[in-house]
Amino acid sequence: MIRIRWVLELTRLILEIIGADMSTCTRRVKVVLYEKGVDFVIKPIDWATGEHKSEAHLSKQPFGQIPVLEDDGFILFESRAIGRYIAAKYADQGTKLLPNPEDLRAVALLEQAACIEQSDFEPNVGGIAMEKVFNPFKGIATDEARFKKHVETFGTKLDGYERILSKQKYLAGDELTVVDLWHLPHGEIAEKYAPEVFEAHPKFNAWWQSLKNRSSWIKANEKGNLL
Amino acid sequence: MVLTIIGHPISTCTRRVKTVLIEKGVDYKLQTIDWANGEHKSEAHLQKQPFGQVPVLIDEDGFTLFESRAITRYIAAKYANQGTKLLPDPSDLKAVALLEQAASIEQADFDPYASGIAYEKVFYPRRGIPTDEKRLQQHIDTLNAKLDGYERILSKQKYLAGDELTVVDLWHLPYAEMSEKFAPQVWESHPKVNAWYKALKERPSWIKANEG
Repeated sequence: MIRIRWVLELTRLILEIIGADMSTCTRRVKVVLYEKGVDFVIKPIDWATGEHKSEAHLSKQPFGQIPVLEDDGFILFESRAIGRYIAAKYADQGTKLLPNPEDLRAVALLEQAACIEQSDFEPNVGGIAMEKVFNPFKGIATDEARFKKHVETFGTKLDGYERILSKQKYLAGDELTVVDLWHLPHGEIAEKYAPEVFEAHPKFNAWWQSLKNRSSWIKANEKGNLL
Repeated sequence: MVLTIIGHPISTCTRRVKTVLIEKGVDYKLQTIDWANGEHKSEAHLQKQPFGQVPVLIDEDGFTLFESRAITRYIAAKYANQGTKLLPDPSDLKAVALLEQAASIEQADFDPYASGIAYEKVFYPRRGIPTDEKRLQQHIDTLNAKLDGYERILSKQKYLAGDELTVVDLWHLPYAEMSEKFAPQVWESHPKVNAWYKALKERPSWIKANEG
């Protein structure tokens, strides 16, 4: 098995993800790969020596970030774009994660959900994660006032989520999509530091708990999850 | 019933939608929301837009959609066969992937900082909240660093997703224009980005969308 895998890697038939197992955005990609049953290998980046700022990396990812997908010569970055590509390329295997592209309304509702996640959810949970995890990791003290502001705004935005999830099972409709899964990496950190906000929104919380319990997410976190 | 946009003539996100409607040559009616009387927080509005925001699309058949970027994607797909081509062929997986990469770049690497500048200099003061000069400078510095990435991309291709214009390029306009006003040096120090932006700004659709 190991020799076959080695040959597949050498002939670039296994997807390569330049990333880090514990990184939030790498796990956002891993969870989709596991849902679709797609084999992959993580190629670690050497943060300590600044590899992410090297010319070699910048020519693949011009913002100096991870993850980056390499699929038989095709290079793609941004974890959500990578997740969408995998879900579309492997539409016929694993969990269905995108609507039929010809169904204009279903696609529109997916895009509405995708925008909600990136503009109403991510800035607040990302802000909580920054204040409580990423800044302290870099030796920057938590700004408690900013943390409180993020928690307050997060609560207001979850009122909107509560309305939506009182009428349908998932964010884009009654079927699971990639967009639901995107909430997991930073949402988990926000839950650790502001659990009361989750508990105050029961429909949202039920949806959230069911996503967290998916085996794909448990597997994505097997090598650590910054909590 | 004609396609209706609930919004406001001067709102950044409403103008994002207007630009695409004009590029596609689609007729529409703008229904102005009554901010002063809190119409955006009314139950009637919250049922259409649960976050109390604008714009909202109500299509001719009653289909309701919110989030300006989602609305522009829907219009560009529904009217794919008229006006300016603004999306790749959905069966071209790689072209679609590169559009999604560009879309994510705009929302994660551009919008928070460009709109952050707009909030500190325009929207917060309008609400009586003074500019936080430290945060304003952080937004300017981060936008400047992010535009280094844009410069690399736009040195190799004409637009953000490849060599063809897409909705994603047009999404940048409202906050590009506002950030340019308060931090012109950030744009001028990135020549390829600046040229791309200036060409977008001169499109008749953007000029018309700004006519109010």
